[in-house]
Amino acid sequence: MSEQQPSKAAPKPAAVMESQPWAGELPENLRTQFSEDVPETSQYAGQPYVVCKPDAAVAVLRYLKEREQFDALVDITAVDYPSREARFELIYIVYSHARNQRLRVKTSIGAASRPRTLTAVFTGANWLEREVYDMFGIVFDGHPGLHRILLPEEWTGFPLRKDSSILGMDQAWVKDNLGIESGQ
Amino acid sequence: MPEWLRRFLLIDLIQGMLVTFRTQHPKYINTEQYPEERPRVAERYRGAPRLNINPENGETLCIACDLCAIACPENLIVVGSVRNPETRRKELTTFTYDLSRCMFCGLCEDACPVDALELTQDFELASFTREGQIWDRQMLEEGPRPSPYR
Amino acid sequence: MADTFLDAQELVLNMGPQHPSTHGVLRVILKLDGEKVLGTECVIGYLHRGVEKIAEHRTYAQFAPYVDRMDYISAVSNGLGYCLAVEKLLNAEAPPRARAVRVILTELNRIASHLLWLGTHALDIGAITPLFYTFREREEILAIFENYCGARLTTHAFRIGGLQYETYSGFEEQVKRFCDTFPAHVDEYETLLTGNPIWRDRLIGVGLLTAEQCKDYGVTGPVLRAAGVAWDLRKAQPYSGYEQYEFEVPTRSGGDTYDRYLVRIEEMRQSVRIIRQAVERIPEGAIMAKGMKVIKPPVGEAYVSIEAPKGELGYFIVSDGSIHPYRVRVRPPSFLNLQALEVMAKGSLVADVVAIIGTIDIVLGEVDR
Repeated sequence: MSEQQPSKAAPKPAAVMESQPWAGELPENLRTQFSEDVPETSQYAGQPYVVCKPDAAVAVLRYLKEREQFDALVDITAVDYPSREARFELIYIVYSHARNQRLRVKTSIGAASRPRTLTAVFTGANWLEREVYDMFGIVFDGHPGLHRILLPEEWTGFPLRKDSSILGMDQAWVKDNLGIESGQ
Repeated sequence: MPEWLRRFLLIDLIQGMLVTFRTQHPKYINTEQYPEERPRVAERYRGAPRLNINPENGETLCIACDLCAIACPENLIVVGSVRNPETRRKELTTFTYDLSRCMFCGLCEDACPVDALELTQDFELASFTREGQIWDRQMLEEGPRPSPYR
Repeated sequence: MADTFLDAQELVLNMGPQHPSTHGVLRVILKLDGEKVLGTECVIGYLHRGVEKIAEHRTYAQFAPYVDRMDYISAVSNGLGYCLAVEKLLNAEAPPRARAVRVILTELNRIASHLLWLGTHALDIGAITPLFYTFREREEILAIFENYCGARLTTHAFRIGGLQYETYSGFEEQVKRFCDTFPAHVDEYETLLTGNPIWRDRLIGVGLLTAEQCKDYGVTGPVLRAAGVAWDLRKAQPYSGYEQYEFEVPTRSGGDTYDRYLVRIEEMRQSVRIIRQAVERIPEGAIMAKGMKVIKPPVGEAYVSIEAPKGELGYFIVSDGSIHPYRVRVRPPSFLNLQALEVMAKGSLVADVVAIIGTIDIVLGEVDR
């Protein structure tokens, strides 16, 4: 809660997520199977997650689906951290009906890298990856039809990147379409 | 009953029609006669905003603390105030409320520490201009004055 | 994608975005061979408002009214999911009384959502009468919402950490009265529809989706349960005190439109059962957790999902330790369920596409966000 926050220390150390190690059979299996491709298996707030290398993400998810019964894809999304070197964090959430467990697979990718598509493993990844592309501009290699899904095709920019501001979009629109300065 | 007999005797049709005719009684009429009869809305209804005044001396209850403006997700409240040099208190001068952007979430009335700003049961908020949706302090205190359309 | 549609043998037909049976602004490009559907392509985004971007510019409390506007048919469920997600980040929990009231309102909302679905779905297929009856009962639920929180549709009923409003006097009686009268009304709908030969002919065997396909596409909710998977988050991972209530998860094995209809009808009855139990024993006590004046979760992330009327509604929130969420991702059930339209509609007739779109129970406000 808010009290735990360092309130006003002048050179505020960048707060990090206080995650706990995640012990059990499944993280063991993942570590032995993928060794250095899965550098972290932790949990935060009781929710386990796995950090993997970008190239190994699809392999990890395929392994989870075929060998560990994680048979349902819940979500694919991304988070933009402009200050990091690998700018985007790509997050896959899978669920196992047999284990009644949810698992997040996270991987950090640079702005120029092209992760492999997950559509070969889960068909449902199709629209989710299109949305990630639409909002963040992450291009998925091998995707069957990667084009914008929620925004119109002629849209420029990727709105959920942190450097795209609502105000900037408004000002650009007013300037282009009305030819005046926006009063916002 | 065998299926063919059911079909022959139109049982499904009769059952369905019974449901329909049972609701024909006038006491089941649910239609609201809105312009003729004004519906009663709930006591907690979140409608037109009102700035309450103290009924005893006619002064505003608002202490110009700006909490409603901070709480508003749409930033549509602007509170103007001056500091009274004698009492050293803030006094309300202007209060603008842009109803055209309001989504009646009620966060402003939750934030108000003195129950000055309130969302009332008044729900007739249409106006002929966009400017008519921006309510000033007078309108918030006295309520809207609808102009009948002829 | 577009050039494959230029085949002389095939007819390309645009359905929507202003088609009444697409339940909003969904555009479906149908590829037809006569009456037969060879393929569909959904064009969505007409209602996109950038909710996830808005969230980054609001405080946690300020964003709560916006989630009501995604699935506006079940605004209460949306609010519950969001509040639970932020509470997870805060490591807080709503008091027992708040949890019980939350369950009552969410289940009422589930019934309201299913009623609206039933009315419009029947209307799409050609049965006009049920619409009037379902709206009559939905009105009673909306009256309860209005009495409780002052709004009927976009309720903003819950706050992070509990409830803002105490129940009004007569709340229990009104809810109990609804529970007493409602099951008889469900029987009425069933009299009109379940055995109706036209209804059966239009629905049985239409829009088949197997359990494997459901999992593959990430389909959840009544569509998944109609395919024989007894998976309901209220049972699988109970939240907000659902473990205290006895109810069944209705399933069917066929996975067609008729089974989905029966599953939703039965869900309404089960919801009444939950409401009855909850309203009998609403605990006394506080309705708001302590320390919720300033909502400032520590750095972290959490994914919390609930069983919304349409399926699994999830919120993935990343906090950077400030009062604004760093990222809010909404996992809308309708979005993933709609994706399965392509397999459900393939090989069916044009007239059945209307039934299939209706049976997924989509709300475009949620698909497009």
